[in-house]
Amino acid sequence: MDWQALLLTLRLATLTTAILLVVAVPLAALLVLGRSRWLVLVEALTALPLVLPPTVLGFFLLVLLGPRTALGRVIIGVLGHPLAFSFSGLVVGSVIYSLPFAVQPITAGFAAVNPALVDAARLLGAGTPRLVSTVLLPLARRSIVVAAVLSFLHTVGEFGVVLMLGGDIPGATRTLSIVLYDQVESFDYAAAMRTAVALLTMSIVALVAIYATGAGRRMSQGDRRG
Amino acid sequence: MRTARIALIFIAGIVTWLSGAAQTPLRVAAAADLEPVLPPILTAFQQATGIHAEATYQASAMLTTQIENGAPFDLFLSADLSYPRRLIDAGLADAAGTADSSTPITYAKGTLVLWARKDGGLATPSLELLRSPALKRLAIANPDRAPYGRAAVASLKSLGLYDALKPKLATAENIAQAAQYVDSGNADAGLISLTSALTPRMSSSGSYFVIPHDLYPPIEQGAVIISKTTQREAVHKFLDYLLSPSVQAQLAKSGLTPAK
Repeated sequence: MDWQALLLTLRLATLTTAILLVVAVPLAALLVLGRSRWLVLVEALTALPLVLPPTVLGFFLLVLLGPRTALGRVIIGVLGHPLAFSFSGLVVGSVIYSLPFAVQPITAGFAAVNPALVDAARLLGAGTPRLVSTVLLPLARRSIVVAAVLSFLHTVGEFGVVLMLGGDIPGATRTLSIVLYDQVESFDYAAAMRTAVALLTMSIVALVAIYATGAGRRMSQGDRRG
Repeated sequence: MRTARIALIFIAGIVTWLSGAAQTPLRVAAAADLEPVLPPILTAFQQATGIHAEATYQASAMLTTQIENGAPFDLFLSADLSYPRRLIDAGLADAAGTADSSTPITYAKGTLVLWARKDGGLATPSLELLRSPALKRLAIANPDRAPYGRAAVASLKSLGLYDALKPKLATAENIAQAAQYVDSGNADAGLISLTSALTPRMSSSGSYFVIPHDLYPPIEQGAVIISKTTQREAVHKFLDYLLSPSVQAQLAKSGLTPAK
């Protein structure tokens, strides 16, 4: 087992999940509470990574945000190195790549909160931040768990972006899914099997855990009991 | 009735399209260093013989894994001899119809170069560049699966620079991706194939230094026929074409040393 890669993968997934929750809660609140017709566009853009091939993302990060463009040079100025071949590059890629897995469950959770409660809070004078923190978040807490677990697992399973942008650097960009690929390509099927089983176990345990709490089931049924 | 018939013809067309029922081309599994070299050769081969050939470019080890797992290739053009030998030993490939049916057919030799962009702000490539502190990222192909990657690591070890440069290495999937890493400016320099360095794009944007051949074991590139091919005759035609003096001369211009 490649422990360094396992730790790196967990660190990447944890950091990505944390960033995503911070980003996704306001985004979901905007999508649910907002009235502007432009929100359709925001909703579509947040869902985009679901359908976009990871190679498109890898290409953009590698070339359009690479050292040969003005934007890329700004990034190098801030980070001190290009996004490619770096852990921070993988974080940027993962946040974009897993965005819908955080935004969609939270949006569904917020939307399932009884609108009468939202109206009541508004009538009592709660502003949007207070409404989100005291009404929507507590009532939709299960959807936050689902969003966190799905974002985490999706990041652990990320492969295409890492392959294009990572450079396979131990301790920086060599994640477990890349290790598995390396092991298969160097004909080490026994080691590949161990890595695959580790990834599979992680996914099954996490999914069973969220379904056991009922969060997953409620999410898929669009429960409106709020 | 008429509508039904039109619908039927339409459905039949769709089904034919989906089933891909066209003449099977000659499928060539080709090492990534051939990506800049092979396409015009395949086109000329089709013009000369009427046989349509299509190539898939990957690191040699990756193609070997695919062939071991039943990928429908007819011919394997590796960037070394060990992967073709491995397939021969496994009974999956052969060199039947040539002088020695159990030895891969050497069709060319590869050359490793150090390449850097002209606008990258580094000195013109030379062995000194590898010792320069200004070099932050050096792209190489994965040494475990790409013969050029193996040659790159061997060269760095011969120079006694491998341990010092190890943290600076960005490892690409195959030699074509290593070239992409430097060409896009994400790596400062790269140990890539001469075939990539000689493409119009990369020869105008950068310059290269030929790594002395005594620093790494020769990159002898071997071909084998995939034993379960149903197009053995076409495979032989292609191999004869590839080894013909005019095509070998073309390889020489593209950065590969002719086999003989």
